[in-house]
Amino acid sequence: MNISEFLTKAWSPEPGVIALAVLFLAVFIAAGGLRDRGRTALFGAGVALMVLAVVSPLGHLGRNYLLSAHMIQHILLLLVVPLFILFGMPKGAAERALSWRPAGAVMRALGNPVVAWTLGVGSMWLWHVPSIHGAAIASDRLYAAQQVSFVLVGIIFWWPVFAPVKARRLTHLRSTLYLASACLGCTILGILLTFAGAGMYAAYLNPQDAAGILPYLRNDLCITPGVDQQIAGLTMWVPGCLIYLTASMITLAQWYGSPEADVEAAAQGGGILSGRGKTV
Amino acid sequence: MSSRIPIVPESTEPLPGLGENTGLLSWVASIDHKQIGIMYLIGTLIYFVIGGLEALMIRTQLAKPGSELLSPEMYNQLFTMHGTTMIFFVVMPFLIGVGVYLVPLMIGARDMAFPRLNALSFWLFAFGGVLLYYSFFTQSGAPDVGWFAYAPLSEKPFSLNNGPTYWALGLLVSGIGSLISGLNNVVTILTMRTPGMTMRRLPLFVWMMLVTSFLLVFVIPIITSAFVMLLLDRLLGATFFTPAFGGSAILWQHFFWGFGHPEVYILVLPAFGIVSEVIPVFSRKPIYGYEFVAGSTVAIGLLSLGVWAHHMFAVGLGNVANAYFSLASMLIAIPTGIKVLNWVSTMWGGRINFAVPMLFATAFIIEFVVGGLSGVAIASVPIDWVVTDSYFIVAHFHYTIFGGSLFAIFAGVYYWFPKFTGRMMSETLGKWHFWLTVVGFNMTFFIQHFLGVMGMPRRTYTYHDMPYWGSMNLISTIGAFIIALSVLVFIWNIIVSLRKGEPAGDNPWKAWTLEWATTSPPPVYNFKLVPPVRGRRPLWDLAHPDSPDEPDAKIVTEGPNG
Repeated sequence: MNISEFLTKAWSPEPGVIALAVLFLAVFIAAGGLRDRGRTALFGAGVALMVLAVVSPLGHLGRNYLLSAHMIQHILLLLVVPLFILFGMPKGAAERALSWRPAGAVMRALGNPVVAWTLGVGSMWLWHVPSIHGAAIASDRLYAAQQVSFVLVGIIFWWPVFAPVKARRLTHLRSTLYLASACLGCTILGILLTFAGAGMYAAYLNPQDAAGILPYLRNDLCITPGVDQQIAGLTMWVPGCLIYLTASMITLAQWYGSPEADVEAAAQGGGILSGRGKTV
Repeated sequence: MSSRIPIVPESTEPLPGLGENTGLLSWVASIDHKQIGIMYLIGTLIYFVIGGLEALMIRTQLAKPGSELLSPEMYNQLFTMHGTTMIFFVVMPFLIGVGVYLVPLMIGARDMAFPRLNALSFWLFAFGGVLLYYSFFTQSGAPDVGWFAYAPLSEKPFSLNNGPTYWALGLLVSGIGSLISGLNNVVTILTMRTPGMTMRRLPLFVWMMLVTSFLLVFVIPIITSAFVMLLLDRLLGATFFTPAFGGSAILWQHFFWGFGHPEVYILVLPAFGIVSEVIPVFSRKPIYGYEFVAGSTVAIGLLSLGVWAHHMFAVGLGNVANAYFSLASMLIAIPTGIKVLNWVSTMWGGRINFAVPMLFATAFIIEFVVGGLSGVAIASVPIDWVVTDSYFIVAHFHYTIFGGSLFAIFAGVYYWFPKFTGRMMSETLGKWHFWLTVVGFNMTFFIQHFLGVMGMPRRTYTYHDMPYWGSMNLISTIGAFIIALSVLVFIWNIIVSLRKGEPAGDNPWKAWTLEWATTSPPPVYNFKLVPPVRGRRPLWDLAHPDSPDEPDAKIVTEGPNG
């Protein structure tokens, strides 16, 4: 199989992620999200990206050939897709849903910064324990659970920073700290993968070459198992960390954009209502 | 209105300091942040002269090809001690010291959060340096393995003398001092601000000290543990960094640069802070884009933690790792470029007064951009492979640390000397100092870019008579002596101004931050009354009640909220 055949044929319909996508879209439409065009575009892009990351040849590569492809998929599912979905959530519907007491309580528990941070960074570490990752790519069910959990945990992780309801968010400076520390957590794992010896993940050492593209990967692209693991580690480290870093810069900018407490108090005291966010 | 001016609460226990007596004991036993700050400055000036003399000996040796003035062994000791001294005992402690002096004043506090720890930091720094320099008097001589002491060269089989042991011990001691002062700064800045001094109104110098202090707290432990491992290797026969016994020499490089690259930003961020204070005052404009200057500092701090391996492109980490680190390193140019834009925009359209602090700050921008641009160049792997370990690198980091940090340090000394001493420094001598420094510095280091590209390796005690090398090195050496002359003028200026300088008054530069609201030099208790803070320029607001920076702000009299 040459590479263009691979790109056209290696699509794998993963039921788990497709079911999740259908569920997301159904809830979105039922919540009346279609009324807001901008949010519909964001939400739709998020769902599409989620499906593509798993169903497209990237998923096939990540599951069968390259740890680095898995890592790109992983960054997309855990860090990028949830952002699109959170920003695309219809605000009014989210407020209504959260005012229903059980839902509000669940999100309060999961969106607690300590819980969300531990889940977000912890899932990164847990799923990359070599034996667990090996089991996940060997078993269809575990693989589906892995992909779905990335997206769900990703939404929980970003919740304290970018929740659709402002009252649920951390104050700006706390968000900065939350993100910077998460960056550190993923950096350490990235460093580990980058500088560890090749072959931490045995499945990628000698993959069964069902699609017949291994010679292309190994000989033409020169991606040996060692290089593959390095790319994976560095992808988690540099682009992964840059996403956290950019987000923490955004929270810092929001902080500067909000008025000082005494300015706000004076403005309110003088009868001029300032409707902008809280200060730290 | 006057009834609402906040009053600094009385401390129950008086702090010893300038007022009590003026003998030596009042200094040695002092825990007053101003006295400790001044001791830092005096200490770094002494180390600066020593490190400078070492540089002069290096340059004299290199003035002509095939020179036999210094033995290779002596030369190795000199460049090692020059680099170690200038980084660990001049630039870093100067910036920490000036921060110790100014941070409490700028935030309207009475002292650091932990005055005794503050004194401990200083004495660890001072005695760490003494321990390092004691090695000169031992049989084995000073450390001679370069300022980054790569393993396995610094390991027992290759360095049987005690030099590297002194090096690791001295830096271990002073490093713990730096770590403590980092913690002290973080706590001070977060908890001791006067009412109204919210985090978004902090003077930029304090912002930069905060980020620097976080960096110190994160990265000093890396090098401290590496020093301990090296000492275990050298003294107790461990093998952390000896490949022959299963250790890893590359591991040392990772540890060293994992600390060493953030260290570069520890050396330059407070310098950015000084320049961000000086330029607005001498342009008579508030800083352009305060938020961007402060925010980009945080970005630099975070980015700096993940790019150390660009010092190791030639090690053989593999193309992939090199490519990623190259990319990440180039990203640092963005927040740094933002800062340069802010400084230039602050000057743009301002009523610029080119007094000596402003001259140094302006030259800082230009020299630092040169160093930054060569830095972006060598962040590119193939260029780095060509020029690594050549004089191009020497030129690059002297443009950032001398042209950058040291120029800002000079700007800061001329700017705050009136506050430290109550007397102005001589403008005439200051201008001599400035122009001699600019000419000498560029003459010494610009030509080294070309020498580097022509292939002259660093850290070799002499060179063959290659075409032009002799004359180019001679020019560089003459430049070094001009720098030496400028330092003499600087020291002379300090001595003369201390004795006969014009009295400065509280606020000679008509600046806007809180340190200028008290007398010069400040009393032991810093402020009788801290002026109300309701904007970024409290003294501007005080002088212009009709057009304050933040018209909506009211005066806060209860605990800082920020």
